[in-house]
Amino acid sequence: MRLLWVLLIPLALLGQKPDFSGIYEWPKALPGAEHGKGSATIFDRRNFAPFKPGGEAFLEPRTGDPRHDEPRDFCLPAGMVAGMLSANAVRLVQNGQFLAIAHEFQAMTRLIPLDGRKHREGLEPMFNGDPVGHWEGDTLVIETTNFKRWMLDDYFYTNPKEYRMHSDALRAVERIHRKDASTLSYRMTIDDPKIFTEPWSQDFEMKARPDWESMGIFEYVCEENNRCPGGKCGGQ
Amino acid sequence: MRLRLAVSLLLASAAGFAHHSFVAEFDETKPVKVTGVVTKVEWQNPHVWFYVDVKDDNGKVTNWGFGGGAPGQLMRRGITKQVIQPGMTIKVEGFRSRDGSNNASGGKVTFPDGRMVFTASAEDKLPESKK
Repeated sequence: MRLLWVLLIPLALLGQKPDFSGIYEWPKALPGAEHGKGSATIFDRRNFAPFKPGGEAFLEPRTGDPRHDEPRDFCLPAGMVAGMLSANAVRLVQNGQFLAIAHEFQAMTRLIPLDGRKHREGLEPMFNGDPVGHWEGDTLVIETTNFKRWMLDDYFYTNPKEYRMHSDALRAVERIHRKDASTLSYRMTIDDPKIFTEPWSQDFEMKARPDWESMGIFEYVCEENNRCPGGKCGGQ
Repeated sequence: MRLRLAVSLLLASAAGFAHHSFVAEFDETKPVKVTGVVTKVEWQNPHVWFYVDVKDDNGKVTNWGFGGGAPGQLMRRGITKQVIQPGMTIKVEGFRSRDGSNNASGGKVTFPDGRMVFTASAEDKLPESKK
């Protein structure tokens, strides 16, 4: 506790923002959130906000073509949001202009501008979307938009006949706050106002792992030895 | 000791995501349990794969392939590539590939002396038995 005050008081006096730089565990769901398959219940349909009229079009049937139903089979990026929640180490590097998130999973790298710039315009949709960050007190708020269309699918196949898509209005909002000297609070909010009546969120925590500094972040080249493209495990 | 640590760390880990859905590749209604000799280990992304020669009652040998977690995921649990090496006799439990081949998820590995280690990705389905 004393360490926390030692960290926070000088920042408050200087009007500076927290520096989240360090190596962390991936965002883990809080105790009690686990149910069904996996703890990232933000993808569980039971937790979705209600549909707007016509929002059911969001549930697109699977076609049987793995390039449609499971593009990750071919090592295409999981991207935001799912990739951010993958069970791998995460390195945060921050200065006044950027927060860099180097996620070990698929070497996913996100550069979050912190200098007040707006979203870029005219870009093609992206796997990791287009993020911008701003501060609300000591909480860093990252808003990401402009996603490729399958970034919010049913990862756990809870209904084999459904394949979830989102509209071009999808926004993912992350809120990062230092809970204590070794823990970041991490809230993920999903908002797709063309489909849902309201946003919904899940709270996670990221634990600092200074004991992982000596390991650092490992290389992750998904194409190196992908044995199961399209659900066909090729073996040796 | 290292293996015991690895298992405890894995049990404490929460679910997350791998590069693809477990369900897309493996059939969780088709459990596989074999005992055999490790012939090859591929300690590579996106998943560690290891291969096991399994002899049936008639003496016929079949080579099975098992996919596990990503190398980085396993190493952070204390599971290094030295844990599973060619020539070792192991029991492997997992779930068969949907394509019907002799490939499967390799959720749990048990050594002849009873030591046990999980090699699955954190979110993969694990065999129900505890030993």
